[in-house]
Amino acid sequence: MSAMRVDAKVVMLGKESVGKTSLVERYVHHRFLVGPYQNTIGAAFIAKPIQVGEKVITLGIWDTAGSERYEAMSRIYYRGARAAIVCYDMTDTSSFQRARFWVKELQNCEEHCKIYLCGTKSDVIEGDRSLRQIDYHDAQDFADEIGALLFETSSKTGNNVDELFQKVAEDYNTTAFQYMTPEETGVDLGQKKDSYFYSCCHNN
Amino acid sequence: MDGEAQRSTASWENATLAPVDSLRSERAESPMPGLVEGTEPGAGQKSAMFVHAQSFEDLTAEGEDEREAELDKSGECADELKVLVGEKSVEEQHNIDVTSETRTKEEDVCSEAWRSHRKHVFVLSEAGKPIYSRYGTEEALSSTMGVMMALVSVVEADKNVIRSIHADGCKVVFLTKSPLVLVGVSRTSQTDKELLRELLYIYYQIVSLLTLTQLNHIFQHKQNFDLRRLLAGSEYLTDNLLHRLDRDPGLLLSAVTCLPLASSARDVVSSGLQAAKSESLVFSILLAGDRLVTLVRKKDQFLHHIDLHLVFNLVGSSSSFREGEGWTPICLPKFNTAGFFHAHISYLEPASQLCLILVSTDREDFFNMSDCKQRFLERLSKRSAYQALKEALKCPSYSVEQVAIPELRHFLYKSKSSGLYTSPEFPEVYQSDAEQERLMGLYQDLHSSLHHPSRPLRSFYRCGESENLLAWVTSGFELYLCFSPLGTKALALSAVNKLLKWIRKEEDRLFILSPLTY
Repeated sequence: MSAMRVDAKVVMLGKESVGKTSLVERYVHHRFLVGPYQNTIGAAFIAKPIQVGEKVITLGIWDTAGSERYEAMSRIYYRGARAAIVCYDMTDTSSFQRARFWVKELQNCEEHCKIYLCGTKSDVIEGDRSLRQIDYHDAQDFADEIGALLFETSSKTGNNVDELFQKVAEDYNTTAFQYMTPEETGVDLGQKKDSYFYSCCHNN
Repeated sequence: MDGEAQRSTASWENATLAPVDSLRSERAESPMPGLVEGTEPGAGQKSAMFVHAQSFEDLTAEGEDEREAELDKSGECADELKVLVGEKSVEEQHNIDVTSETRTKEEDVCSEAWRSHRKHVFVLSEAGKPIYSRYGTEEALSSTMGVMMALVSVVEADKNVIRSIHADGCKVVFLTKSPLVLVGVSRTSQTDKELLRELLYIYYQIVSLLTLTQLNHIFQHKQNFDLRRLLAGSEYLTDNLLHRLDRDPGLLLSAVTCLPLASSARDVVSSGLQAAKSESLVFSILLAGDRLVTLVRKKDQFLHHIDLHLVFNLVGSSSSFREGEGWTPICLPKFNTAGFFHAHISYLEPASQLCLILVSTDREDFFNMSDCKQRFLERLSKRSAYQALKEALKCPSYSVEQVAIPELRHFLYKSKSSGLYTSPEFPEVYQSDAEQERLMGLYQDLHSSLHHPSRPLRSFYRCGESENLLAWVTSGFELYLCFSPLGTKALALSAVNKLLKWIRKEEDRLFILSPLTY
């Protein structure tokens, strides 16, 4: 699996239990596991090839643990990431606060990382509209403000999940050439220290 | 540990259970010379894989050091104790339904059901803040934990240490490991020492998530920090560890069990792991469920069985590693409490039981580890040993009938020098969870007697209503046998020799005799 060439590093970020792992499960394995909540330990890595036009792009997805315990480690997961999917639970206000935290973190540390804002558990809201805590327009305003795209998804029904990852891959494909070979375009003095070193997420 | 000096001579003088014909240093057909450490069945041929393999005393001694003063608080503290536990007779404790063990966090802490749990475990900070409770929510227990901390402090104020309170068929054991305080409340017949050992495991579980350095740092800066914030989502690891402590003979024996596998196949697997090495790699561990397939380590680096059990617990408790390749910081507290290792954890195949754990010192080394795994898998899948391994997974255990000893129902055998043990599957009569836990309880009792702090026994025969038990410890091995009530003492004694011979015959398959290093 890992011997595969990975084109783009994608990192999942967000408060614990918002459903980052479920989102990845849905996208990669097309399934939704019902059962007691199991938190991710550390992080999990999955390589997933995806068809974009004529090309096949392999996304290296880092599904990180939301627990505060691992916060100090998170840097190694998002460093050099081409895309970050910042998740929040649409029925939990505090998870949106946490999403803002991650966005800020990314803006400070990974300027080349494209941010995708992802509201999860839309099926719960479909069932009972009063459960929605994060207004769509508020989230959209925030997304506009940070230049991100907003997706409201459900891992249970699969709603909008494939679209989200497809968009990630497409955006990578269209912008890839811009950052493809930083060595040849010379050294960017304004660039964050170390980021050249880690711009490639596998070191074979 | 005055036992050290005693042991070398005692092994001869006290080993009267079976005739000792001769002492040979080579691997003898008759296992009796196995009284000598390092030649018992299951002993590794080269060096041991684990550090302090026979370290039951090692393990508990640590807790003892800090407790010079013998305290008898039972009279004085009986009043406070009633706050914690209701009055129940010893008879009643056996009636408690084990099936109600399923964790109900929302359980009412004032209820009779909550009070009557067999074993409670509480973890609190030195400021008296609740960190973990096995049953009930921590919030509801903050005043109870406050009382516990008060007890600890009152005794400490007199420059003394509180060890335990015995009252009312119930033991309250305290373990102060700054900055944490652990309290166990038990209605079982386990000794203080055994309970202390279990608390120590819980302590190590917490340290393995955070490191001791980080723990100290946190509480130095903020004494009343709510540690649950950092432990959020890890409670089930502690829950599972407590469950294992009741069920898993490995934790009792301070040993690990192996997947029965032909030694030729095991050697191929081991050398595959040996070849897939990397600069930062310290341990490569291949597990099949709860059983060790093989372990390859960096030269001169040893893994402690406690650390290995913590790894087992981590892998066994979580489905999270099935999702992809896991990469997680983990502190191995018996190796080093100050820092994190980084473990690459993944299953060899999606639905496989075989889980590979590569322990690295470098947190940036994920892709290197991933590459190691890939190389190992490629190499292994080309060989027939992989097929043999997969076959072996289908029968991860053996039945006691294979040993062909009449009336023998079950046994535990630990080779002290290798730190490995073997045990057959539970027979029909012990199929239910309750019966298995009862048998484990009996083994625990025997274990307590063999390892009694002041009066350790060498052998112990016990006639019970539903089974007869024999326990025997030498400098080379530890053996626990369970016979049907029809078995006699004479039969039990003759069985030992026969069983040891059988284990000697099967040791290639049941143990890892030639552990490898990179």
